[in-house]
Amino acid sequence: MTDEIIRTENLKKSFGQLEVLKGISTTIRRGEVVSIIGPSGGGKSTFLRCLNLLEQPTEGKVYFKGQDITDKKLNTSKFRQSMGMVFQNFNVFPNMTVLDNVTLAPILEKKIPKAQAREEALALLRRVGLEEKADEYPRKLSGGQKQRLAIVRALAMQPEVMLFDEPTSALDPEMVKEVLNVIMDLTRSGMTILIVTHEMGFAREVSDRVLFICDGVIKEEGSPDQIFTCPHDPSTIKFLSMVL
Amino acid sequence: MEKIIGLLDKYYMVYLQGLWGTLWISAVTVLCGTLLGLLVAAFRMSRSKILNSFASAYIEVLRGTPILLQLYFFWIGLPKLLPFELSDTMCIVVALVINASAYISEIIRAGINAVDKGQWEAARSVGLSEIHMMTHVIMPQAVKNILPALCNEFITTVKGTSLASVFFVGELMTSYKSVQAATFLALQSLTIVGVIYFLLNFILSRLLRVLERRLTASD
Repeated sequence: MTDEIIRTENLKKSFGQLEVLKGISTTIRRGEVVSIIGPSGGGKSTFLRCLNLLEQPTEGKVYFKGQDITDKKLNTSKFRQSMGMVFQNFNVFPNMTVLDNVTLAPILEKKIPKAQAREEALALLRRVGLEEKADEYPRKLSGGQKQRLAIVRALAMQPEVMLFDEPTSALDPEMVKEVLNVIMDLTRSGMTILIVTHEMGFAREVSDRVLFICDGVIKEEGSPDQIFTCPHDPSTIKFLSMVL
Repeated sequence: MEKIIGLLDKYYMVYLQGLWGTLWISAVTVLCGTLLGLLVAAFRMSRSKILNSFASAYIEVLRGTPILLQLYFFWIGLPKLLPFELSDTMCIVVALVINASAYISEIIRAGINAVDKGQWEAARSVGLSEIHMMTHVIMPQAVKNILPALCNEFITTVKGTSLASVFFVGELMTSYKSVQAATFLALQSLTIVGVIYFLLNFILSRLLRVLERRLTASD
């Protein structure tokens, strides 16, 4: 496959005695939107975190554009610049303004001139409706606004892949939609996206492919229609019957 | 009371000299102790096993032995170790700095560890280098955890300098001893020195509180 962007081979991760990932092999194509669903503690988040090395895989390989990222010689921070991540708890930097949150990494790591970084950041903030908050500190933002800021902060590095780790799970219900709308816009822009989510309706609507991860393995994968209307694996059927 | 005024009248220069001694020794100790403490904390948190164990041992030994013993140790040992002449005062200052660095490094480490794990992950996920992550994201937040404990440590340091009087290095307690030896008015001389210490620390703690409020104002 020539348009492959991420490939994992028998990816395993243990925390002490506990084996969370028990061998995950899959390929993500450029521009693909992949939703990862499954029960809590099944390894969804750990899988995502292994892809940008927030967790070091215990065994197996992860390839990004054909390069083995588990290689010790890899410049990890450089590699992470091509992979944005959005967290459940936002993790915006509270010690700097909204604008500085966005321009920090581009200025420091990509050596983009301040004025240009500022302009690009403002354009991104405008896209998610946060332009007038640019000079505020994050403590003044709502949860939904913080998460939109976190998305913009990741986008400012112009990543090739975006990883979303339950981006709406910590939000009040009325704020879920504003964040999902931003992500949905992004799916239409051709960005490669992996999203761990409990929003089944959303997953069904935006995904090209759905992975069902349970007990540390991919139990089932397929198009959203196939997974949501006629799942084959008993564990998928059981899970979907509980959440839908 | 009359005797105290009499002492002040006659020996105020001795007390002022002592105050000056206490001030500069404290300032040097706190400043160098913080810088050295930062380095020790960095060692303590580094991934290198050697640096890590070295820092642990350093901290454990310095916190596990009396400061007076350490002062004696450096007072006697340092001149023997070094190829050049070092005054008694400098030996004592070195000892105080090293002692303070052990305590301060643990304060710094605790402050850094108290920064939310998500901040480290977010900083890494946008591709910040480890150094930029520390300087721009982690340390600015850690400072707010570190400052209150560090202020306490400053005051402990000021009081700790009194131990240096054992070696007559010319801080406040040395002033007390000199005046007492000349006049045999122990209680009066002690009262004067006690009041000076108290005022010094009282003013210092107020100043530090203002500084602390300024620095934490940003959020």
